Amino acid sequence: MRTRRWFLRTSGLAVGVLGTSQVWLKPASAQERVSRKVLVAILQRGAADGLNVVAPFFEKRYYQLRPSIAVQMPSQQQGFGGIDLDGKFAFHQVLQPLKPLWDARQLAIVHAAGSPDTSRSHFDAQAFMESGTAGKTTEDGWLNRALPRVTQNTSPLRGVAVGATLPLALRGERSTVAVDDLAKFQIGSGASPILEKLYARSSDAQLKGQAGGMFDAVRRIESIRQQPYSPANGAIYQGTFGTRLMQLARLIKSDVGVEVAFVDLDGWDHHSNESGQLGNVLGEFGRGLSSFARDLGDRMADVVVVTMSEFGRTAAENGTGGTDHGHGGVMMVLGGSVKGGSIYGKWPGLEPEQLFEGRDLAVTTDYRDVLAELVRVHLGQDPDQVFPGYKAGPPLGLLRTA
Amino acid sequence: MRRIALAATCITLIATGTQSSTAAGRYDVALAPAKQAAHVLNRAAFGPRPSDLAEIRRIGVERWIRQQLDPATIPDSTVLTAKLAPLATQKLATWQIFETYQPPLQQIRMATPNINQLLQPDQFRRLYNGTPEERRAVIEGLSPEVRQQVLPLVPPNVLDGLPELRQQAERARQIQNEIRNREMLEQQRKLRPPLNELLTPEQARDLQFGTTDEKMAVLNSFSSEKRTLVFRSLPTQQVPDAFKREAMAIMNPRQAVVAELVEGKLQRALYSPRQLEEVLVDFWLNHFNVFSGKNTVGMLLTSYERDAIRPYVFGRFRDMLLATARHPAMLSYLDNFQSRSAPENAPNPGGGVIVNVSAGVPNQGLNENYGRELLELHTLGVNGGYTQADVINVARAFTGWTIFDPQRYGEFQFNPQMHDRAEKVVLGQKFPRGGGESEGVKIIDMLATHPSTARFISRKLAQRFVADDPPQALVDRMAATFTKTGGDLRAVMETLLLSREFMSEGAWQAKVKTPFELVTSALRALDADVTDTTALAQRLSEMGMPLYGRVDPAGYPNTAEAWSGSAGLLARINFANALTTGLISGVKADATALASQGVRRVLTDLTGSEPAAETVAAIEQGASGEKPNPNIIAGAIIASPDFQKR
Repeated sequence: MRTRRWFLRTSGLAVGVLGTSQVWLKPASAQERVSRKVLVAILQRGAADGLNVVAPFFEKRYYQLRPSIAVQMPSQQQGFGGIDLDGKFAFHQVLQPLKPLWDARQLAIVHAAGSPDTSRSHFDAQAFMESGTAGKTTEDGWLNRALPRVTQNTSPLRGVAVGATLPLALRGERSTVAVDDLAKFQIGSGASPILEKLYARSSDAQLKGQAGGMFDAVRRIESIRQQPYSPANGAIYQGTFGTRLMQLARLIKSDVGVEVAFVDLDGWDHHSNESGQLGNVLGEFGRGLSSFARDLGDRMADVVVVTMSEFGRTAAENGTGGTDHGHGGVMMVLGGSVKGGSIYGKWPGLEPEQLFEGRDLAVTTDYRDVLAELVRVHLGQDPDQVFPGYKAGPPLGLLRTA
Repeated sequence: MRRIALAATCITLIATGTQSSTAAGRYDVALAPAKQAAHVLNRAAFGPRPSDLAEIRRIGVERWIRQQLDPATIPDSTVLTAKLAPLATQKLATWQIFETYQPPLQQIRMATPNINQLLQPDQFRRLYNGTPEERRAVIEGLSPEVRQQVLPLVPPNVLDGLPELRQQAERARQIQNEIRNREMLEQQRKLRPPLNELLTPEQARDLQFGTTDEKMAVLNSFSSEKRTLVFRSLPTQQVPDAFKREAMAIMNPRQAVVAELVEGKLQRALYSPRQLEEVLVDFWLNHFNVFSGKNTVGMLLTSYERDAIRPYVFGRFRDMLLATARHPAMLSYLDNFQSRSAPENAPNPGGGVIVNVSAGVPNQGLNENYGRELLELHTLGVNGGYTQADVINVARAFTGWTIFDPQRYGEFQFNPQMHDRAEKVVLGQKFPRGGGESEGVKIIDMLATHPSTARFISRKLAQRFVADDPPQALVDRMAATFTKTGGDLRAVMETLLLSREFMSEGAWQAKVKTPFELVTSALRALDADVTDTTALAQRLSEMGMPLYGRVDPAGYPNTAEAWSGSAGLLARINFANALTTGLISGVKADATALASQGVRRVLTDLTGSEPAAETVAAIEQGASGEKPNPNIIAGAIIASPDFQKR
C-alpha cells in the first residue's frame, strides 16, 4: 500500500516536472475539456451558529433559549424578521440574497449536520473536517483525495484553494495550488527561470512539489490574467470572501481544468454580541454565494457548492449575548443539479433531553454523508477512498442524477 | 569536478533521508562544527547577520548561547535605540494611548428623537392600534413642532386610510432630513475645515508642489492644533516623511498604534543584540495570541506585549500565564471581561445588574471562551485531560475578572458582583463556596504546574527550535526541567539549546521559515537599513501572516505544511525580487554587496553548508548562460529553496 502510494506520488511529480509545462503553455481555447464538473467546498472557520443561520422558528423552545439573539419570527413586512423557507425554518434576515436560489430549488439545506466527534476545539475539529474524518487528522485532505487519481486532466489548477496558503483539505499527493489574487499571480522576477531550476532540483519534496505546481499555474494563469474580467449577469462581488469567489468563478469560466476548489471564511466565533457580528459575516457569506451563482449562470449546471463549519454553537445564548462552542450545525448545498428548496436531515428538537449533552443541537446527519454523496454523484468518485473507514449512510438524495 | 557532483548527490540522498523515518537516528549525529554558527543564528536569532556571524565565530557557539540566555549582560544597541525612539506609543500606559489616539472624526451622532418620549402612553396606543379616526385625532391633537417630529417616525401602516396625513409625513420627513444633513455638514466642517480655508494660496502651492524644505517650513509655521486640522484633509502623498507619523496618528490613530507595534517588532527582530529574547517574545505572543482587530484589543496590545509577555520570557511560566489572564487584551479578546455568574450564584441575588435574565436558560451570564482556551491552548493541550465540565467550572471561577472602563482606561479589575460564588470542581479539585478572586489564581497555579502543561509547552518550544516533529527524548528532558524548576523558562530553554538534539544533523535545516522568519532573515542577510515598515507589513499580509492580525486563538502554526501553497511561495519569490531591486519603500538593501561575495560564500554563510555545485552554477550563470546582474543573483539567493529553510 505504502509503496504503491509512494510510486504514484513520485511518478505524478515526474509528470509535473517534465510533462506538463509545454501542454499548459497553450492558450485556454486550445485545451481539451476534460471534465466540467466542479465541487466547491466552503469552510466557515470558527464554528458558525447554525441555529441562527437557518432558524427553527416553529420551536417555542428556540425563543426561550435565545431571548436576546434569536432570529425573529418571519413577518409579512419586508426587511423584518427571518425569511420563511417552509413554514418551520427561516433564513437569518441577512440571507435575503440566497432566497431566490432557494425559490429556484438550486439550494438545499441539511440541518443538524456535523461530525459525530465531540471535540469543541476549533483547531482539532477543523483539522478533522478537512481530513474528512471524525476525531483523526490525516496527512492529506478529503478534497485532495476526491480528485481522480488516474486522469487525463494534468492541469496545475485541478485543485485550487483561493487564499495565501494551502489548507489541509487540499493537501496530499495530487498536485493542488493556492491562488490568492489572479491579477498578482505572476512572477515579477528576472530570477524566475533560475528559481524554477533550483526548485526542480530541491531535495525537499514538499517545496519541490509546491514550486512545480506554482510555476505551471503561473503559466496557465498568464493568459487569463491579462484579460479584463467583468462578472456576468450583473453580479457584484464585495469583500474578501466575495473577491475570492470571483477569482474562482473566473477560473471555472476560463476552462482551465478546475475540478475541486476550497474557499474559507473565518470570523464565526461569536461568544459575545452575536447579533451584529453574525449579521456582518453571514451577510458577506450570503452575498458572496449569490454573486457566485449569478456570475456562473448556466455554468452552475456543472458546479456544486457545499458549505460547512467545524461544529455548531450552544442552543442557549450565553451570558454575553453570544453562544459558546456546541455540536450540530447547518450545511448548504448549492448548484444546478441540486434538488433544492428542501431541508434535509432529521430535526432532533431543542428540548433538554433532545439536546446533545443537554446543551447543543444534536447531529443527525454526519457531514460525510453529505460530502460522500457529492463525491459519488457529482464527481463520480468512490467515497470509500475519500473518507477512509467510513461507510456512508443511505443517500440523502441531494442531487438529480442525469 | 566529477567528484563534486558525486558528493552533491550524496548530500541530496542524505537530505532526502532526513524527511523519512531515519530522522530519529540523525539527532544523535553531532552537527558539523562549520554548520553550527549559521544553525544557531537560524534558530535562536532571526537569521545570520554578518556582524553576528563574526561575533559567534569569535566567542564560540556555546558562549553565545549562554549570553543570549542571560540578556541582561548584553549591552544595548545604539542603532536599535535610535530606531525605537520615535515610537511614542511604546512607552505609554494604556490610558494614555486611549487619550492620545482617539479617532479624529468620532462618528457624528445626531440625536434621534424617540417616539415614546414624544407621545403619552395612551396616545401611543391609540396611534398604533386605533381606528383611522382615533389615529387622525392623535396626530392633529399634537402641537405643530411635536407633529413635525412624530410624523417621520411612524411606520407607514399607521397612516393607512389617512392620505393627507401621509402626504404631511412625507413632507415632514424631507424637512427633517434637510435639517439633519445641514447640521451634520456643519459639524464635519468644524472638525475638518476645507484646506482652502486653512491655507493661504502660497502655502497650498508649497505643500502641493514645493520641495521637502518648503513643505517643512509651511508645516512648522503652524501651531499643533492647526496642523491637526490640516492633516485631516491633506492628501497623504503631500505629507513629508518627517511628519508621516504625526499625520497618521491624526488621520487614523488606532491604526497608528498597531503600526508602531509592527514597526517595533520588526526593528527589534532586525537590530536587537538580544536576539533570543526577541524570538521568544514572538513565540510567546503567538502562544498567547490576541487579535488586534477585535474590540479595542489594538489599543491594549502595546501594554500586553510589553507588560504581560516580554518580562517573563526568561521567567516563570506561571507568572506569564497569570499576567496574560489578568491583561485586558486577553480579557477582551476571549470575552472573559463580560462573563458573569448565573443569577442564582451571584453574591447578592437581585442586587447586581444582571443582563438577559430569563427562566430556564442554563449558564446565564457565563462565557466559556477563555476557560476553554486556557485549558486547550495555553496550558494542558487539547488531549491534556480535561472535560467540558472542567471548561465550564474554569469559566465560572474566572467570572469577575474584568476590565475597568475598556474604552478609556483599560485596566484589570476584579468585580465581585460578577463572580460566581458557588462551589466548583476543576480537574477533580474542589473549590469551596465563596473563593472569590483567589480561585482563578489557584487554577493558574494548578495548571502551570500540571504535567500535561510541562509536556505541551516543552513540545511546542522544541517544535519551534528543533523540528516539526521533535524527538521525544528531548521533549521529555525539557518537561522534566520544567517540572523540577517550577516552570522556569530560562532553565527549559537551556535544556533545549544545549541539548544534543538541538545541535544535531537531524535538526539542521529541518524547519521551513514562516513568512516573518523569511522577511527578517532576508533583511538581516542583506544588512538592510529599514526606516519604514509599512510596506514590509503589507508584504507579510500577502504571504498570509499579518502581524498582530491572527484571528484564531491558536496563533500562527509553526510547521512546514501549514505554510505550503503556491500563492505563499509566489509571494516569497516576489518579495525577494522587490527587496533586492529596491522596490520596497522604507528599506535600503545593497544587493550588489551581497552578490559580490559570490553565491557559494553567501549561501554557505546563511545555511552553514556549502551549496550544491549545480545550485551555484544555476544562479551564477543564469538561465540563458549570461551572468545575471547582482539584483537577480541576490533575489535568487533569497528566494532559493535553501533559504526558505532554517
